[in-house]
Amino acid sequence: MNAISLTNITKTFADFKAVDDLSLSVPAGSIYGFIGPNGSGKTTTIRMIMNIFHPDSGLIQVFGESRNDSHTDRIGYLPEERGLYKKMKVRELLQFYGALKSGHSVTADVDRWLERFDLTEWANKKVEALSKGMSQKVQFIATVVTKPELVILDEPFSGLDPVNTNNLLEAILELQQNGATIIFSTHDMSTAEKVCDYIFMIHKGKKVLDGTLNEIQEKYGNDTLRIRAEHKITDLKSLPGVEKVHDFGQVQELRISQGADHQNILATLLKTNRLISFELMKPSLHDIFVRIADAKEVSDV
Amino acid sequence: MYKVLRLTIREYLAAVKTKGFIIGLLLAPVLMSGGLIASILLKDHVDIREQKIAIIDESAQMGDFLVMAADQRNESGLLDPESGEQIKPAYTLYTVTLSDDLTTLMNDLSDQVRAGDLHAFIHVESSVVQPSLDPENSHINYHAESASLDDVRDWIRGVANDQLRRLRLANAGISEEQVPDLFNWDWITAKGLLSMDESGQIMDAETSNEMQAILAPIGMVFLMFMMAMMGAMPQLSSVMEEKTQRIAEVLLGSITPFQFMLGKILGGLAVALTSTIVYVGGGIIFMNLRGLESYIPYDVLPWFIVNSILLIFMLGAILTSLGSVANDAKDAQSLSFPAMMPMMVPMFVLFPVLKEPLSSFATWLSLIPPFTPMVMILRLSTPVSIPAWQPWAGLFGVIIFTLFVVWGGSRIFRSAILMQGVPLKFSNIIRWMTKG
Repeated sequence: MNAISLTNITKTFADFKAVDDLSLSVPAGSIYGFIGPNGSGKTTTIRMIMNIFHPDSGLIQVFGESRNDSHTDRIGYLPEERGLYKKMKVRELLQFYGALKSGHSVTADVDRWLERFDLTEWANKKVEALSKGMSQKVQFIATVVTKPELVILDEPFSGLDPVNTNNLLEAILELQQNGATIIFSTHDMSTAEKVCDYIFMIHKGKKVLDGTLNEIQEKYGNDTLRIRAEHKITDLKSLPGVEKVHDFGQVQELRISQGADHQNILATLLKTNRLISFELMKPSLHDIFVRIADAKEVSDV
Repeated sequence: MYKVLRLTIREYLAAVKTKGFIIGLLLAPVLMSGGLIASILLKDHVDIREQKIAIIDESAQMGDFLVMAADQRNESGLLDPESGEQIKPAYTLYTVTLSDDLTTLMNDLSDQVRAGDLHAFIHVESSVVQPSLDPENSHINYHAESASLDDVRDWIRGVANDQLRRLRLANAGISEEQVPDLFNWDWITAKGLLSMDESGQIMDAETSNEMQAILAPIGMVFLMFMMAMMGAMPQLSSVMEEKTQRIAEVLLGSITPFQFMLGKILGGLAVALTSTIVYVGGGIIFMNLRGLESYIPYDVLPWFIVNSILLIFMLGAILTSLGSVANDAKDAQSLSFPAMMPMMVPMFVLFPVLKEPLSSFATWLSLIPPFTPMVMILRLSTPVSIPAWQPWAGLFGVIIFTLFVVWGGSRIFRSAILMQGVPLKFSNIIRWMTKG
């Protein structure tokens, strides 16, 4: 069963088509990563799933039914921009958001989550006294405190240090283990690679990637060489079959054309350089993202 | 409904738990009625310093009389009969001899007034007793720094006119004893209309007074104004803040835009009703304690409550929708003036409507929905009987208009609340309202 099913949805603002004929299915119980450049249509898609925006055309189904207001209580939503009443105390705020969503008191759950994120001592402090990272954790608690079946997180890791990012990831995985479906949008490709069961990329309102990481990488094949040399190698672009070079300083990644012989490239390099490592691999999600986002023209996948 | 109620409670508590609300609750009536309170408090604080007034009497018939009348007043009318303390200033009048040049004399006296040696001077023209002989020179002129608001002028007006009548009677050969009631002045009592009670008995008309004619209607309208200011006006900046601080999107993840807007309006209404309970309750207790309960227009109170609720609903819908359109405090400020028109227009026409509550202008204005709540209450609070159908017609119009405003406002709200940085244009507002 799909937690969400989008069928040919389109949304236009004035003359700008934010989402263009998008179809997508999110299996129940999965973690689905939404990626895409800024302004690509991620947030608009999420807002349509949340029933905050209505699509101009197309069908949105949630839990197998056409989207309606009754589904709202079953969906936890963390927007891209944090929205907390600064003058409210942390516990009061979470109780308010929780009760607004669930229709009943969530005091015990609020306290449990506060403890989990080391925020108990801040419970009676006003939100305006919190740091950005703490505010982010409070916002996350407000999203999940009602135990929603579907959790939609728009950029959940922004403002968090690595420790808190890990805490949040653990919490997200725990929610999934308890049966929740998770959708999150992110610009952090390594997190998406590690956590997501499925990845969906939207660019200029159109779907350009959709599937598991393996499925996506399979489409591109083993077209990447990662090289580390004793001395930095210049002029890699002139090697036969090399389409593009990404120089990361200590490591250099080469994208090779289809049919290019990587053994030939290795042999050529060894003639004039001493290599520490030479690895043939599939492109990373980051690389795939950049390839698509940098491309002038985008065709549907 | 639970969600709306939950948001309403939050809005209500967020407003009333602040020091600003408590201070506003106490200060608003003081600010609104500051002039009245000050005049009551300062009523007994009269300047009792002697006031010297010179008289130039070209008629040669009034000067000595006025000096004598002032002396009599100084002997008998300056002290409080109970405490024996002086409560009024003494008026010391004296005549000055008219030299060759009247203008020079008057200029000299003016300098003395400016220097503080004189309070004022009076110029009695030559034909004041018989104006028909020389109408151009038949007046009494009172010259002072603030002549039009001077109490001495009021006193002189009374005694001078009485004396002029006496002199004119004497010139006609009639003694004052022949017409003993000549100086009996009738102020003409203001009375209402007679009515028939349920048993068919005709009830005498009640005497109306300024308290009923002015204070009750003005008090009602000012109270409604304060309710709207406390209950509806804050919605504009509140929604604007929720929009710019992105709280709106979090809330819209749990409630619909209509529930959001309704919760805010009801929260504001609850705030306004709290202040109303304080003011109306306090007013009734105060009036009863002071024996003024007959001035409380109990029959108008139900209309007042209903119209106030509708006004706050109407304004709340307008202001929340406009708040959703605003991008910053500057936008909110520029939107607040047109949004306040349903309150401001009735305040502008307060006195014309009060003076003639049955005029065509007052009647039509009270039937134009945005202005109905305040203008109709103003008319109903006067002693005049408003045709029975008019409050009902006004109420019907306001309900229809309020429903329209809530409908249109919610469409604007829904469209605009998540629009960041969209320029504030009238065409955008109309488009959001018509197309959603």
